[in-house]
Amino acid sequence: MNMTAGAVLPGSRRRFMRAVWDSRYIYLLLLPGIVSILIFSYGPMYGLLLAFKKFNAGLGILSSPWIGMAHFRRLLGTPDFASALRNTLIISFSRLIIEFPIPIVLGVLLGEMKFQKTKRVLQTVFTFPHFLSWIIVSGILISFLDSNGPVNAILAALGRDKINILANTKTFRGLLYATSIWKGAGWSSIIYMTAIAGIDPQLYEAAVIDGAGRLRRIWHITLPGIKPTIVVLFVLSAGRIMNAGFDQVFNLQNAVVRPVSEIIDTYVYRITFEAVPDFGFSTAVGLFKSVINFALLLVTNRLVKAVNGSGLFV
Amino acid sequence: MILTTKKQGGRNRIDAFDIVGCVVLILFALIIFYPFYNAVLTSIVTSKQYILNPAMLYPRDVTLDNYRLIFENPLIWSGYKNTLIVVACGVVYGMGMTVCMAYAFSRKSFPGKRPLFLLVLFTMFFGGGLIPLYLLIKNMGLINELGALILINGVVPYYMIILKSGFEQIPESLEEAARIEGANDIVIFARVMLPLQMAMLATFTLFIAVDRWNDWFLPMLFIKEGRKFTLQVVLRSIIYEATSDVDAASSAYYENIFSDGIKIAAVVVTMLPIMCFYPFLQKHFVKGVLVGAVKM
Repeated sequence: MNMTAGAVLPGSRRRFMRAVWDSRYIYLLLLPGIVSILIFSYGPMYGLLLAFKKFNAGLGILSSPWIGMAHFRRLLGTPDFASALRNTLIISFSRLIIEFPIPIVLGVLLGEMKFQKTKRVLQTVFTFPHFLSWIIVSGILISFLDSNGPVNAILAALGRDKINILANTKTFRGLLYATSIWKGAGWSSIIYMTAIAGIDPQLYEAAVIDGAGRLRRIWHITLPGIKPTIVVLFVLSAGRIMNAGFDQVFNLQNAVVRPVSEIIDTYVYRITFEAVPDFGFSTAVGLFKSVINFALLLVTNRLVKAVNGSGLFV
Repeated sequence: MILTTKKQGGRNRIDAFDIVGCVVLILFALIIFYPFYNAVLTSIVTSKQYILNPAMLYPRDVTLDNYRLIFENPLIWSGYKNTLIVVACGVVYGMGMTVCMAYAFSRKSFPGKRPLFLLVLFTMFFGGGLIPLYLLIKNMGLINELGALILINGVVPYYMIILKSGFEQIPESLEEAARIEGANDIVIFARVMLPLQMAMLATFTLFIAVDRWNDWFLPMLFIKEGRKFTLQVVLRSIIYEATSDVDAASSAYYENIFSDGIKIAAVVVTMLPIMCFYPFLQKHFVKGVLVGAVKM
């Protein structure tokens, strides 16, 4: 603001320099953070050049020869990539449909809860798994669902056949959604509870006097009251469609279920670190994903702006 | 008056909805709780007992053998040490950068504020991706260095933005008063503003500490040498038994004696600090969401 004004007005160069000098301590506070961001966030962006080059470790990123869009052309013709892209989209869309509503239900139920002490205990249990890494959670789930584990013991006791839940292409995606709800729905519900707490209590009082029952109050007051929150969170998740949950898939996955669960992120990892790597190609796959994600983000930001009046970010 | 509203199906009477809601929530809580409870039990009973009855409700044949074996593994100890180093340094480094930047961006206007802010914001939504980062770390000679795990995680833009809005809510008069007494921006920041934001600082310190404790992907990628593994990487190598990223020595050590009990004991050892502290710190974590939600 100062800056644009400074460029036009005569004699304002002095004033601009003056403003810079007055803010010297502010710049000092910014300096370490900006430097680290330039190195560790923008540094790798320079490495994106690799997506258009034939990487030669001896020559380095800059001197490796350009090959234009060759990696991208190869990408589109690679069946493994096509399958990873398809899995990513299927899993992400299913998450939007299956996983997204659960925290809303939890939030509403917790919001309606009258026993404050029980509520606090429940909330602690619900939110706890969010703070564990997927390695820990997978460690627990893998032994819990193992053919010798508790779940199959219960099935056996009920006279059912044992099922290998983890290595079953039919159930594995379902397992992803279920375990993701198990781990994260409680934490996500907090944001809805906050929104519910912000609804004017007088609305409820008035509804009670009008004779509205519980369900009608939820339908006509609570849900409309948290609609903006729901919209924002839905749009945000929709903008992350290319991220199908690397941490979870990577740690729960095994060779049997790979065909139904290999997503773009695990695919990039696999071709880079578990095979003879082609850094240029791997980078191209990553870039393909990032660009789509970024474009989706711009679109979703527009959508939120249209619905709620102001954008999420800028 | 108040009494009558209560009687007429007011908001404080217990009805069928409360019962059903309560049952649903408690069931969900049990489904979350039981696998953890079962994991702890599995780790303290004999493997014979576990095979006999994996779905236990209380422990029988209690033994600490699994833990004895786990703690005989030097990697667990070095893993704990490395993780504590990364958490301690990571919190100071990450928090320091994030808070300083948040305060700077909360100031009214200074030349270059908007472009610099956009520079930071952009990194939230676009990145170089895995391979360029890997090559960068490699070129910097940071492969196999715990330092890499600390340095990469400087400013957390999301926390920065929330902290920034916290600073913006402090009345301007405080800053002006301090300025009249001759304080410069850094003195005002350290002496006036930081003490007013202690609750928020505590919250985000906890978030960053948990983030570093749980980091597993970059450590798995960058740390090749067993005794420099962080706890999560050690755990991963134990759960997925003797994969290529484990030292040959330690995999040979475990090859024959690995059982579910030992794996689960390793899991419990890794989540122990979070399990112990979480119930007491929960309200601070929740506060982080609350301020974040207001921002939204």
